[in-house]
Amino acid sequence: MDNPIKTLQDKKSYLDLRKQERVTLLEILDRALEKGVVISGDIVISVADVDLVYLGLKVLLSSVETMERLRGAPLSGATEEPT
Amino acid sequence: MTMKVYAYGVIDSNEKIDEAMKGLNDAPLFNIPYRDIGIVVSDLNTQIQKEDKKSVLKHEEVVEKLMDKFTVLPMRYLTLFSGKEQVLLMMKDYYDDFIENLDRLREKIEFGVKTIWPGDLIRERITTAHRKSDNLPLVASSSGKSFMKEKFENYKIDKEFEEEADRCIAIVDGFFNRFIAEKRLEKLKTDNLLLSASYLVDKEKRDDFKKAFEELRGSGGDLKYLLSGPWPPYNFIVLTKPNAKKFGSLDMVDSVFQRKDRT
Amino acid sequence: MNTMIETDSPEVFADEMEKLQDALPKKIEANPENAEKGLAKLVLTLIELIRKLMEKQAMRRVEAGSLTDEEIERVGETLMKLENKMKELKEIFGLKDEELNLNLGPLGDLL
Repeated sequence: MDNPIKTLQDKKSYLDLRKQERVTLLEILDRALEKGVVISGDIVISVADVDLVYLGLKVLLSSVETMERLRGAPLSGATEEPT
Repeated sequence: MTMKVYAYGVIDSNEKIDEAMKGLNDAPLFNIPYRDIGIVVSDLNTQIQKEDKKSVLKHEEVVEKLMDKFTVLPMRYLTLFSGKEQVLLMMKDYYDDFIENLDRLREKIEFGVKTIWPGDLIRERITTAHRKSDNLPLVASSSGKSFMKEKFENYKIDKEFEEEADRCIAIVDGFFNRFIAEKRLEKLKTDNLLLSASYLVDKEKRDDFKKAFEELRGSGGDLKYLLSGPWPPYNFIVLTKPNAKKFGSLDMVDSVFQRKDRT
Repeated sequence: MNTMIETDSPEVFADEMEKLQDALPKKIEANPENAEKGLAKLVLTLIELIRKLMEKQAMRRVEAGSLTDEEIERVGETLMKLENKMKELKEIFGLKDEELNLNLGPLGDLL
């Protein structure tokens, strides 16, 4: 004999649990995929994504920042914090 | 499939670790010592996808178990080496960085605080207010000017939106400043995700920090908050070596040019 | 797992955070079949970066009142042409706005 209220409450807490699991996984992914000790170089054979393109773009971004410093004025909306 | 070495994290110990701990694919974990520190690894002979949920959870589980006994610098997920020699080469390269990080992060934990605000509504409100006042310094009489007028309007709206965000962020952040050693703030990752903050907290201040979160939660308003942790200090690793990904580092520029010369 | 999550609204956060995960592939695939498309993505992303920087700079100058009427007209025309050209190029290579982005790891996204 099912108590309908009990079943409903069970379902709600089950769904809540699923939501919590989702958020927990997302929080873990948010950290482990992009942060932590990030090593690049010839001896590391598998790093997540960006490699050469990333290195090239960093040169571009670094140059913009250097130019701004030399000019003494920002060229655009570039902020000081990396993220 | 060649054997690879999967790295979980750098620890402040060069001693053997508990044999019972297992890593990905149930492989045994080893601590590879280097001078007075070590790096915990396991052998891997399968391909792992980046999005493989089970593997990420396993990675995290290992790092958190290590956190119970040691100070851990968690590796980014999916950091692989072709062999033990390569691991040791890397340890040699990064030793100074690792020591600095281990010292700085000892007895500290990371908490995450995320805040959601009604960004969509706020943007709407600002947009409507701007349309009403229309005190733009441009008279749109030709195509170039019309284009600029519209762009400028959006620019002003964006700007006001971000200023409002900064104000809110300062208030939220203010709840925690007293209890933290360091922080990293990511603002407006989406319009509604006002703040994604990581705080580095002394273990002994853990309860104070949680109390502060409860205060924040009880402070009213229609913002939503999420507290997560304690985490291994993913967000507080600082590497200064040229190969490390550091913004605006001239070393980085040099190393890229050197790389070009070599080829 | 040690870590705990405390929130009154897990689904709201999950939804919002999933949007970040959904951000499209950030790798420049370099295999023979789609090398061309990969290269186009890279080049167009860089052009977009510069174009957006130029737009932002123009806006700052309008705000500061340092452009004459004529200059506003000219800059507007130029930016408009650039924007239209970019739309064309994106269509030619079958690329959407969301695809023209690059994830710089710890730096976040380029655009």
